[in-house]
Amino acid sequence: MKNIVIGRFIPGSSFLYKMDPRTKIIVLILLMVSAFLVRSLSLIAFGLMLLMVVLIVGRISVKRVLLGLRPLMFLLIFTFSFQIFFNTAGELVFTTTLAYSPGGLGVVVLLWFFWWFTRRRIPFKLLYFLVVLIASGTLLSLFSYGPIFTTSTIEVYSQGLEMALFIMLRLVIIVTLSTILTLTTKPTDLNLGLEAVLKPFKLIRVNTEEMAMIISISLRYIPTLLDEANKIILAQASRGVDFSEGKLKEKLMQIVSLLVPMFIISFKRSDELASAMEARSFVPGRPRTRLHQLTWRPMDTVALCFGLIILSTVIVLRVIGW
Amino acid sequence: MIEIRDLSFEYQTGKPVLHDINLSIKKGEWVTILGHNGSGKSTLSKLIVGLLKPKTGSVVVDGLTLSHDTVHAIRRKVGIVFQNPDNQFVGVTVRDDIAFGLENLQVPREDMIERIERFAQKVGMTEFLNKEPHALSGGQKQRVAIAGILAMDTDVIIFDEATSMLDPKGRRMIVDYMRQLNREGVTILTITHDMKEAVLSDRIVILKEGKILLDDQAELVLNNRDMLEQSNLELLLPLRVRHALKERGLKHPELEALLWASSSNK
Ligand SMILES: Nc1ncnc2c1ncn2[C@@H]1O[C@H](COP(=O)(O)OP(=O)(O)O)[C@@H](O)[C@H]1O
Ligand SMILES: [Mg+2]
Repeated sequence: MKNIVIGRFIPGSSFLYKMDPRTKIIVLILLMVSAFLVRSLSLIAFGLMLLMVVLIVGRISVKRVLLGLRPLMFLLIFTFSFQIFFNTAGELVFTTTLAYSPGGLGVVVLLWFFWWFTRRRIPFKLLYFLVVLIASGTLLSLFSYGPIFTTSTIEVYSQGLEMALFIMLRLVIIVTLSTILTLTTKPTDLNLGLEAVLKPFKLIRVNTEEMAMIISISLRYIPTLLDEANKIILAQASRGVDFSEGKLKEKLMQIVSLLVPMFIISFKRSDELASAMEARSFVPGRPRTRLHQLTWRPMDTVALCFGLIILSTVIVLRVIGW
Repeated sequence: MIEIRDLSFEYQTGKPVLHDINLSIKKGEWVTILGHNGSGKSTLSKLIVGLLKPKTGSVVVDGLTLSHDTVHAIRRKVGIVFQNPDNQFVGVTVRDDIAFGLENLQVPREDMIERIERFAQKVGMTEFLNKEPHALSGGQKQRVAIAGILAMDTDVIIFDEATSMLDPKGRRMIVDYMRQLNREGVTILTITHDMKEAVLSDRIVILKEGKILLDDQAELVLNNRDMLEQSNLELLLPLRVRHALKERGLKHPELEALLWASSSNK
């Protein structure tokens, strides 16, 4: 729970920190749209390279960005494997036949026993799992002693491989972009930026100040609620509930045992918070003066142009069929 | 400053919470409301600033009778520091939180910056201005809440069990601010079941099951053992000793004076 990076600001001083939050949000949107419009693997790879340059020049620690990717690891691996194994367009680039024999199966079972007992001690569980998975495939072929029961063939096609890489890179780009925004923008500035960017929606009668207030309070209470969840987990654990283990049904019960108190606490909290806000003369929809003001620098114009150029290039490339 | 007349109130559940409350608080006075959990103390403080609507009776603050039209003017005169430091921290940082009330009052930006500096300094939170709430202790959060209300320049501050979730050090600090503010002329209403806090005030009102049981000078109330026992409140240790001395017929005026002085700590 402690490693959640979303919404966490890490102090720093590079150009990304000095940029106006409005610019950052708009450029983020421009680049995300670009990433979705790109069709070819080489272009998206080029995009990722550009992003790397931004990370290096902006002195953002790659470790932080990777931490931001962690919650998406499962999704990444799932889409990757799905494309690799089930997309059969293009040429065959790799094929292997797995033979199931008593010797091979025996070794594999031993390997999984080993995995089961050591997995707790390995920091990169998912990676460890994948390594063991690949290793068992190899071992099956190596130790084919005794009669072979049956065989199965794994085939990887060029398009599948390409799509797998493409989708993965695109996801990585999008998540990295939003991580950069939240890492380098103070919550206060993020809120002001959002409010400014949302302003056009006033024309269709959306109360943008109230929306900004809601976003701001949500951001403010995310760490508090996470602490709360941690406390409840500890309290339940001290009564014998183990959140890391158990069957699906038990897992569900554990989640309920976490959610119910969380809801009750949150409602009480929001009720008290509303009282405190009203007591301090807050009236929804009434004009307020603002402590923070945003300043637009030449740098912001440059960044905005950069975003626009990228988007228009991508559009042109797409039109001419790249 | 605050005049409460025949005030009664019940929540939607229909269970009466306050009956016929009559209370008058003068300007510059320090009044404590003592009472057990659920006796209606918080409800009373919410009624004073119009967060709840009385069933019968009236609340007058500084000449303004509480109504739909005056509620905002009254909230400019009366600030509340609530019990849970986490549930009243609105801003993303200390600076933003102190600014929150000022933004609502549409204070101009320059004025706002000056006031934030001044009151952050007053509660000793200047070096924390850019900190986020989860980096602060409960006591520090309560000090921020006090600064936020001081910055709004209210005449009355209600402390609704503002120290009950703090450690002894945080508690002492908040109590020191109460004392200092009261000296500067702020009218203070503390709600507590901590006798050590009550002893500092001018007057104590004991609330029991939504009724005022007793309303008198602090010294008299604190020595009224029968009444305190009736409302499940404990006598302060020095006063217990004093009573014990009296019961055994021992007379020692010097010791008695000393005991009283040590308990009131004034
Ligand atoms: N929002 C509410 N809805 C219904 N009943 C409430 C609500 N808040 C408090 N009460 C009830 O009103 C009574 C007085 O509560 P409160 O004023 O919070 O007491 P105190 O602050 O003295 O502990 C209690 O019996 C409580 O259960
Ligand atoms: Mg209360």
